[in-house]
Amino acid sequence: MSGPARRLGSEAGAGPAEAPAPRPAAASPGGSAFPSPFARPDLYDVLFADVDSDLPFYLELGRGAGGAVLDVGCGTGRLLLPLLQAGVDVEGLDLSAPMLERLREKARAQGLEPRVHRASMSSFSLPRTFRLVMIPFNAFVHNLTAEEQIATLAGCRRHLEPGGLLAFDVSAPTPARLAQPPGRRELEVESEHPVTGLPVRLWDARRFDVVAQTQHSHIEIEELDGAGVVAATHRSAVVVRWVYPAELELLLRLAGFARWQLWGDFARGPLAADAGLTVVEAWRD
Amino acid sequence: MSPTPRPDESSVRGYIEPELYDVANSTWAEDIPFYVALAKAARGPVLEVACGTGRVLLPMLQAGVDADGFDLHSGMLEVLRRKAAALGLKPRVLQADMRDFTMPRRYPLIVIPYRAFLHNLTTADELRTLRLCREHLDSGGRLVLDLFYPSFARLTEPDGRWRLEKEFTHPQSGAPLALWSCATRDRVNQTMHVQMELRELGPEDDVLATHPHTFDLRWIYKAEMELLLRTAGFSRWEVTGGFDGRPLLHDTDLMVWTAWKD
Repeated sequence: MSGPARRLGSEAGAGPAEAPAPRPAAASPGGSAFPSPFARPDLYDVLFADVDSDLPFYLELGRGAGGAVLDVGCGTGRLLLPLLQAGVDVEGLDLSAPMLERLREKARAQGLEPRVHRASMSSFSLPRTFRLVMIPFNAFVHNLTAEEQIATLAGCRRHLEPGGLLAFDVSAPTPARLAQPPGRRELEVESEHPVTGLPVRLWDARRFDVVAQTQHSHIEIEELDGAGVVAATHRSAVVVRWVYPAELELLLRLAGFARWQLWGDFARGPLAADAGLTVVEAWRD
Repeated sequence: MSPTPRPDESSVRGYIEPELYDVANSTWAEDIPFYVALAKAARGPVLEVACGTGRVLLPMLQAGVDADGFDLHSGMLEVLRRKAAALGLKPRVLQADMRDFTMPRRYPLIVIPYRAFLHNLTTADELRTLRLCREHLDSGGRLVLDLFYPSFARLTEPDGRWRLEKEFTHPQSGAPLALWSCATRDRVNQTMHVQMELRELGPEDDVLATHPHTFDLRWIYKAEMELLLRTAGFSRWEVTGGFDGRPLLHDTDLMVWTAWKD
């Protein structure tokens, strides 16, 4: 991974969809409080803009789609803007208005005119269909119930042309992560602010409910000053629900898909037992 | 019972000698009163899928329940018939595969006790079994089965390590016994191959005889089971964490499932 962001974790909860039912966050001295980790897209970009492990995969799919592309959970445009720059006819949707606003600002600065919509991935309706629908960066785990999961997949399928492809990736916590003491603060990402040059850190204190397959994160984003002292702390909470591969196949089937392929990484390697990542390609017949 | 081609028993070939099945599983009994009570309340015939040696089926019959049963393992059924004869019971049981069975009647209650459902090693087999059970239910009838929740501690234990499952005594002779197991897991496909040894112990804990056996199973998560039931056509179900009806909260709980046919 290049650039200043050092992403330490790659598991559930980092995706750019709006946090469902966020817990009200406590105000912290010297910092603003916000209920969702996606309410400060500027800091989100400092932390995540340089994630690129999935970029070649989605960029190649977008370029080869031979038609319109929809980026579900497009966030601040980490993938959508490179797709636009590559000349792909791409639209996006995201639940977070601040994230979309930042995407538009970044696009303007690059002379691009994105078509993005504020909508929920489980209930969106757009006037056209697509050759490729993608749900990148683990955004799918923000669906907390089977109804939401199936509605999201069925909605994506409805927006596919015949023969079109749905591509997405999900992460489940690895055994090593599940074995961590619950609630222990882990440093997930440490980045350098591109303007101020000051460090920004993302900490996550997680608890897992393995029966419900939910991860309950208490996130703290810290802005440090020149002396290395925490100048501001932004707290938020998010719940995500992970999915196992066999479960994912049942969800695809219930959503109307008949043909799919599951991979263990973005290079289309086999599923790996304890890696947690599942990359899905599902075709509409 | 309708004559059907003899099912392929190869998948149970490694199973424990039928004569020893009841001995090895003599400490597992809390499910018997649960299933017998359900069967007595069923108001109609009951089908037990994978009835084995009759560990649950014979107490049902003794309680006056009109119960049918089938199992893939012919040797287990022989033991069942012998035990039944000794009790003066006339069981209606046949050899069949849970993925491919036909019974002449419909039931208000079908049960699959003691995690036998986990012997379905693929999603396709799980769905076949659930669909056939649903077809054999009266409308309003229910399927009840118990599974273990795949516990994190068990799933992450090293492959190929022998562990002592239990030390106990022979239910008839009182002789000391030990049951050892060694599992290897395919964590992508959620399957495990289990080697077991029932060891007969002497006075110095020396091993007098060893009875090795093996089986395979595929573990299922709670959310996955709900999707399986839904895909198989069930529209209503509930799950508890044990035979006492406790809520399913922990990954060390059982999963006792009830699914209704509308």
